[in-house]
Amino acid sequence: MGEKPKIAICWLGACGGCDEAIVDLNEGLLDVAEAVSIELWPVAMDFKYDHLTAFGKDEIAVGLVSGHVRNSEHAEVARLLRDRCRLIIALGACACFGGTPGLANLAAREEILDTVYRTAPSVVNPDGTIPQVETPWDGEALRLPAFLHHVYALNQVIDVDYFIPGCPPPPELIRNGVRAVLTDDLPPKGSTLAPRKALCETCPRNKTKPLRFEIHGPIRRIHEVEADPEMCFLADGILCMGPATRTGCGETCIRANTPCRGCFGPVPGVTDPGSRFISSLAALLKVGTTGDPRAVMASIGDPVGYLYRFTHPISTLGARRLGEALEETP
Amino acid sequence: MGYEPKLVCFSCKFGWGYLKDPNALREEAALLTPVECSGRLDALHLLKAFKEGADGILILACEEGHCHFQEGNFRTLKMLYLLRDVLQAHGIDGERVRIEFSRDPEGRTILDRITQMKASLSGLGPLDRALL
Repeated sequence: MGEKPKIAICWLGACGGCDEAIVDLNEGLLDVAEAVSIELWPVAMDFKYDHLTAFGKDEIAVGLVSGHVRNSEHAEVARLLRDRCRLIIALGACACFGGTPGLANLAAREEILDTVYRTAPSVVNPDGTIPQVETPWDGEALRLPAFLHHVYALNQVIDVDYFIPGCPPPPELIRNGVRAVLTDDLPPKGSTLAPRKALCETCPRNKTKPLRFEIHGPIRRIHEVEADPEMCFLADGILCMGPATRTGCGETCIRANTPCRGCFGPVPGVTDPGSRFISSLAALLKVGTTGDPRAVMASIGDPVGYLYRFTHPISTLGARRLGEALEETP
Repeated sequence: MGYEPKLVCFSCKFGWGYLKDPNALREEAALLTPVECSGRLDALHLLKAFKEGADGILILACEEGHCHFQEGNFRTLKMLYLLRDVLQAHGIDGERVRIEFSRDPEGRTILDRITQMKASLSGLGPLDRALL
């Protein structure tokens, strides 16, 4: 019996929800631990940076990496993992598409620092101090990671082999992904380890979708109404990202009477789910030729935040690779 | 001086310049792209144009009630209202996208309209690409 394959689980700019999803494998986690040797998991085990550097190149079979890249430490750890792991799987919406933190790309870095450290109402900072990469202190230099200009998805920083989307990804998809790696039953590199269909195709409310699909404004938001628990959200005038979003999530939000927020990212072949959704919404909205579309459009609060909630860093306008214009390479 | 705004113009083939040789039109305006219907435009086309360097976009659509595909022109107008919010969030002023509903089979006014829009784009200056 050979040595068990080594596995690394690591987070970059992440909330820990993806790690929680791994924990949610429950007893299944014991099966995973039986089949592999978990060498690195900062959320659950003791971790020092040296633990990672001590591995040889390609020594780890697979690295499950969650979180986006926003500072130089994220970038450095991502590159180190790429070097030490034979396969890298981007785990969760942040690693796959930049995730919710990606909406920070709609503000310049200086604006963010200024708001957070100087002008926010709760801040008391009379000297206007802002974190520095290096600060002299007691004869020594204290160092912090550099805050980058942009939020990056993992594959905009390092080469990524597979993607498991979701916020968080369902434990079942993680289990299947790890199993596929262990049994060498993998699709072509770059694939997303989730179904290829749109959410609508597996949605339990699909049967209530009218034959002639039209949305008669105004658009309603889920917190403003008591939604019918069986009715297609869009047909009911409630925005739902289902048509532009990949399925595989188990429709958990839909079953909790909440419309899709798009955390599984675009369906295959679509790079910009927001613009795809805008185009289809424009076609579906019925305001009459004498009506004013502005009133309907105005009823959609924060369309950018809604349409690009998880995907701004991979969108047409927001996509950038680390090292491109503006960015100092850390 | 010397700033020449890059204007991408999409024109509906049914209402605009169909009596004119498309190559001749393109010689006059390099970034003119005839489309089968203004409703054929996807939000993605407009975003890509900005991402790849456009300073502004002019859409020449058919008059109200004259769309060959019933209401492609109106659909594009609705799409633009939604898209404007997306553009503004990225620092792209709504003035940088204009849609005109009219008809000009011989394409006599296309060049003038492009020149006019370029003039107003010149007033806005080059697009700030800090967030792109």
